[in-house]
Amino acid sequence: MKIPHTLILLACSGIIARAVYAQEKQAPTVDQLVAKNVEAKGGADALQSLRSVQLTGKLLVNQGQFEMAYSQTKKRPGAVRTEATVQGLTMVQAYDGQEGWKISPFGGRKDPEKMSGDDTKGLIEDAEVDGPLVDWQAKGSTVEYLGTEDVDGTEAHKLKVTRKNGDVSYVYLDPEHFLEIRVLTQRVLRGAQVEEETDLGDYEKVGGVFVPFSIESGSKGSSDKQKIIIEKGEANVPADESMFQFPAAPSK
Amino acid sequence: MRILPFTLATLALANFTQAAEQAPYSSATISGLGARNIGSATMSGRIAAIAANREPSGKITIFVGAASGGVWKSEDNGTTFKPVFDEQPVQSIGAIALDPRNSKNVWVGTGESWTRNTISIGNGVYRSTDGGETWTRVGLPASERIAKIVVSPENSETAYAAVPGPMWSDSPDRGLYKTTDGGRTWNLILKGANLSTGCSDLDLDPNNPNAMFASMWDYRRKGWTFRSGGDGPNAPSGSGLFRSTDGGATWTEVTPENSKGFPKEPYGRLATAIAPSNPQRVYCFVESTDSALFVSDDGGATWDKRDKSQWMVWRPFYFANLIVDPKNPDRVFKTDGALIMSEDAGKSFATVGGFNGAHGDVHDVWIDPTNTQVVISADDGGIWYSHDGGAKWWKGENLPISQFYHVSVDDADPYRVYGGLQDNSSWVGESQYPGGITNAQWENMFGGDGFWMFPDPSDPDYLYAESQGGNIGRVNRKTHQGRDIQPKPNYKEKLRWNWNTPIALSPNEKGTIYIGAQFLFRSKNQGQTWDRISPDLTTNDPEKQKQEQSGGVTIDNSAAEMYTTIYSISESPKDKNVIWVGTDDGNVQVTRDGGKTWTNTVAAVPNLPPNSWVSWVQASNFAPGTAYVTFDRHTFGDMTAYLYKTTDFGKTWTPLVTPQELSGVSGYAHVIKEDLVQPNLLFLGTEFGLYVSVDGGKQWAQFKGGRFPVGVAVRDIAIQPRENDLVLATHGRGIWIIDDITPLRALTPDLLTQEAAFVPLRPVQQRIQGNGGWASGAATFEGPNPPDGAVITYYQRSRHLFGKLKIEVLDASGKVIDELPASKRPGLNRVTWSMRTKPPRVPPAAQLAFAGTSGPRVLPGVYTIRMTKAGKVSETKLTVGLDNRAKFSEADRKAQFDAAMRVHALFGEESALMDRIMPLRGATAQLMKTLPEGDETRKAVADFDEKLDQVRKQVVATTEGGAITGEERLREHTDQLYGAILSFEGKPGDYQIANIDALRRELDDVTKEFAQLIATDLPALNEKLKAAGQPPIEPAPTKVAAQEPELGSGRDSASARQMLPANLRLLHR
Repeated sequence: MKIPHTLILLACSGIIARAVYAQEKQAPTVDQLVAKNVEAKGGADALQSLRSVQLTGKLLVNQGQFEMAYSQTKKRPGAVRTEATVQGLTMVQAYDGQEGWKISPFGGRKDPEKMSGDDTKGLIEDAEVDGPLVDWQAKGSTVEYLGTEDVDGTEAHKLKVTRKNGDVSYVYLDPEHFLEIRVLTQRVLRGAQVEEETDLGDYEKVGGVFVPFSIESGSKGSSDKQKIIIEKGEANVPADESMFQFPAAPSK
Repeated sequence: MRILPFTLATLALANFTQAAEQAPYSSATISGLGARNIGSATMSGRIAAIAANREPSGKITIFVGAASGGVWKSEDNGTTFKPVFDEQPVQSIGAIALDPRNSKNVWVGTGESWTRNTISIGNGVYRSTDGGETWTRVGLPASERIAKIVVSPENSETAYAAVPGPMWSDSPDRGLYKTTDGGRTWNLILKGANLSTGCSDLDLDPNNPNAMFASMWDYRRKGWTFRSGGDGPNAPSGSGLFRSTDGGATWTEVTPENSKGFPKEPYGRLATAIAPSNPQRVYCFVESTDSALFVSDDGGATWDKRDKSQWMVWRPFYFANLIVDPKNPDRVFKTDGALIMSEDAGKSFATVGGFNGAHGDVHDVWIDPTNTQVVISADDGGIWYSHDGGAKWWKGENLPISQFYHVSVDDADPYRVYGGLQDNSSWVGESQYPGGITNAQWENMFGGDGFWMFPDPSDPDYLYAESQGGNIGRVNRKTHQGRDIQPKPNYKEKLRWNWNTPIALSPNEKGTIYIGAQFLFRSKNQGQTWDRISPDLTTNDPEKQKQEQSGGVTIDNSAAEMYTTIYSISESPKDKNVIWVGTDDGNVQVTRDGGKTWTNTVAAVPNLPPNSWVSWVQASNFAPGTAYVTFDRHTFGDMTAYLYKTTDFGKTWTPLVTPQELSGVSGYAHVIKEDLVQPNLLFLGTEFGLYVSVDGGKQWAQFKGGRFPVGVAVRDIAIQPRENDLVLATHGRGIWIIDDITPLRALTPDLLTQEAAFVPLRPVQQRIQGNGGWASGAATFEGPNPPDGAVITYYQRSRHLFGKLKIEVLDASGKVIDELPASKRPGLNRVTWSMRTKPPRVPPAAQLAFAGTSGPRVLPGVYTIRMTKAGKVSETKLTVGLDNRAKFSEADRKAQFDAAMRVHALFGEESALMDRIMPLRGATAQLMKTLPEGDETRKAVADFDEKLDQVRKQVVATTEGGAITGEERLREHTDQLYGAILSFEGKPGDYQIANIDALRRELDDVTKEFAQLIATDLPALNEKLKAAGQPPIEPAPTKVAAQEPELGSGRDSASARQMLPANLRLLHR
């Protein structure tokens, strides 16, 4: 006898997922999912204890044909500095909580440039140590639960986070472990919407908090995303405020 | 549920304990193969409805409702579109409406209502409150098709849906519906006079939204006939124009008796429009025995008969739509084959679009209310923009909503794709092209509507194409001369050619071709002569041959309803004398003697209603007596799939998919294909997608890979045997390619029990990396190529979420030469290995040495791929070879590799020299800080530093500032040479080899100069330092690693500058 379609559907969401649905016939609420996300990451205490995080690894673009050394440092309450290095030239993008800036050295310039407010939006999101869901009320965001959606074979919980500035992130949580597996962000840059889809995985603990060590981002559905592979994660590294601030003098 | 605390170790343990259980076979199992859309948007496809809004920003937001390709949204006047309906189970769109009070509220009625023979079906009304980003199905699930949705200008929650309803069957689920709660509940407020009459149009008075006109339409299509109105021009019909002044609570039919000047019944399809700037002006097109446009200037109380030109009255079932200028009540567009426009309230019309400079067969028009010279029209060829009121048109080149009926491939490398489309001829496209597959990679080869199309395997300069009704041509690819080779009837005979007449190539004999009317014809000489090799294989039912009376009120006999015809032909690849034929009226015929005798096997098909349309019959690739057949009963109102298999020449048929046991298959079946290698691997294309079975048809999984729209109709499937690519002809979203389906052949039950395992890999080629394409802005379609590298496929039971999933590449000596970012999804996964060695160590300078960001590609050979997951290691072998098209030998390739690696080493030695120079300069800089200005020792230090810098400046360019400095030093020359050698993988030029030697000599010179400094100048300086009480400068180490790559030292090919994304954002979340 063949298995009815509905059973196949249920079965493919996995044993643990079946248990979840058996226990929770009602659709989960935003608060429940956010709480599970916090817990999955390591709990509120562990998150709060993580004051800064530094991740190093490599960045691959163009189907892996272009590789750069990568590092990112983020520090509460909202600073971030990201670097990518090749042939001794280091590209920098940073945000100190007030303004964003960058160094784009590959064409012969190493002086820092101010970034526009719109271009800084992505950095502001990167600076979130906890991701878009944690403390969403305090950030002035709104969050809606939109049911589940297939994310490359995983029927994931879909949450819509609308930020204070109107930008939207659709956050997809793994149905078994409630960690982010995809974030689709729609930002308005210079009046036009730009979509960026980021797939997250290879979670490892850094200072007691699960952090994705695999980050792939690009346009929605793109088969050739920019890939970041983290090789080392460090918690609460000393990170002087100056590293996030626009350099007073041109970088040497 | 509380999340239990866990560690990586416990997770790994859990994985192993589950490893014996077979994972369920599902969409997740197969969809990781991905799929890519190669278009095309050049011919594009039919659009049924458009809606647009001029935003406060000044930009125009456009929603396109494709006839069978979903909803597309543009926020930039049509410069770019994105599909926003791909997650929904249907792709046929009938209506789109924007809430006049809030354009973020978007309503979509699914199921097209331009009721040609080939249209798809919908499943109700969808609503979005966020501008189309997310959708909720809000009702009318049985409506099948929706012609129009109108939202009240006074209340966002109140909307009307005009539902003509099911086309192929009686249904009470049709008429005009109203919701007052945003779609949660719907009331049928105007019901048809019979079970075939629904509502096809509606317009509200903008000043008084309770006043409205609704067009009711009596229509029905069968496989062999169609009627708009009653069964003949004067037969009774449920069609009519109705008006309400109380929000639809009560209705009055508009008749000649109560509305002077209105024509007498019976009617066919009607269209109505109220002028927004003067609601007393009402336009109504009426299909009747005297079809014409009627105009009222008193809100519908009296009517005046106006235009009845050809494009006003032609094919009303396909074109009944009136669009009035928002500002000028006298200016009105009527859609038709041509787009016609009146500026005198319908007294006269002029052709302004459609066939006049655009594609033709126009279905909808939008006029910008802020600038009525801006007009957008939608037709069978996509979307068109006019900025001069409709006089001239600008074609949209970015909607790949093309409606293919069939697809075939050739054996060129790269192979080409052939196929015909609804109202869009027959085209040849490239499966890959340097820079991407743009509209320019598609070429039109014939005309009319296109269907089956094949390259001529006996002569690559020719191909076969056809237009509707079996008009087959043999076309010269170069001159485009198309010779008409359609077989002709005998004395006083009529040949019955289906709209989509089947053509088939013999898999056994190049040059042998079949075409089917009611008889099967075979030519063994490319159409020079035809043999009639069957009797009439159909039921030859005269009741289904009355197409000259088809059309209802307006006769319409275009070959679309031609019936009792052959619809599918398949010669057995195992025996050329075994030929299968399926007919539209339900016969499954087989001959085992090359056409001398035929047997109708359909009576042996169990549980099949009589006369079911045979949509596909496919002879097996493995046994002469084995065949598959699909039946398509949607023309009887049955939207389910039927698939059967025989292994005894049709004596018995075994059901694989039937309504009794659909096994998850949705939509009526169009095509069944069997894999070329694995007999249990089957591909089933239905109106709602692609379904794959790996166990001979017991279980089916829907393919959802890449951005493939899950609910799109798959009408034909081809397998390219050399590449093992699966090529899909979708009717609404163009051609899609699933590259390399060999992993599906390996999906055994044993594999599905594995936690993670490699799938056997096909040998990979190092494909030539050509440059192509050109900057063309954002407004044109570009389809992706296959990945540029070695694609490695593996299976894992579940999503990989914790810890590293490590994939490494090892060379023949067992050395790890690369590590790849792994894919994480459950089921089959794919990752791409660039096949490049590590890039050289390049000395730092003012700018990037772009060629030097990349290593050469590894030499052909056998490599090991190693996966480490949760402590468990598995390996597979990958054979890497040259591009099959390469004109050079492996020895040439080795010469190139060796030369590249010599330059690679040169870079390394330059870096090593810099590694020796830079610490010395660091020391001098430190001393300069300590020693006072004017000091003698300080001057000596400065002199030495200057000499060091002179050496440095011979190695690398140092001028910063970002200008085109033209400063070329050893490093820059090395990069130029390196790029030149990387640009071609055959034998390098002698001059390049000589240049390596020259550069090495130059480096030696500089190194000697440096050594001289160390040998003489440094000791002298150190003496002075010692005298001055300063510490000596340590001499540079003599040996510095030249080849050890720095972490993340980049890689790229010669055109790296182009490859770096302009807006590269260093992203981490």
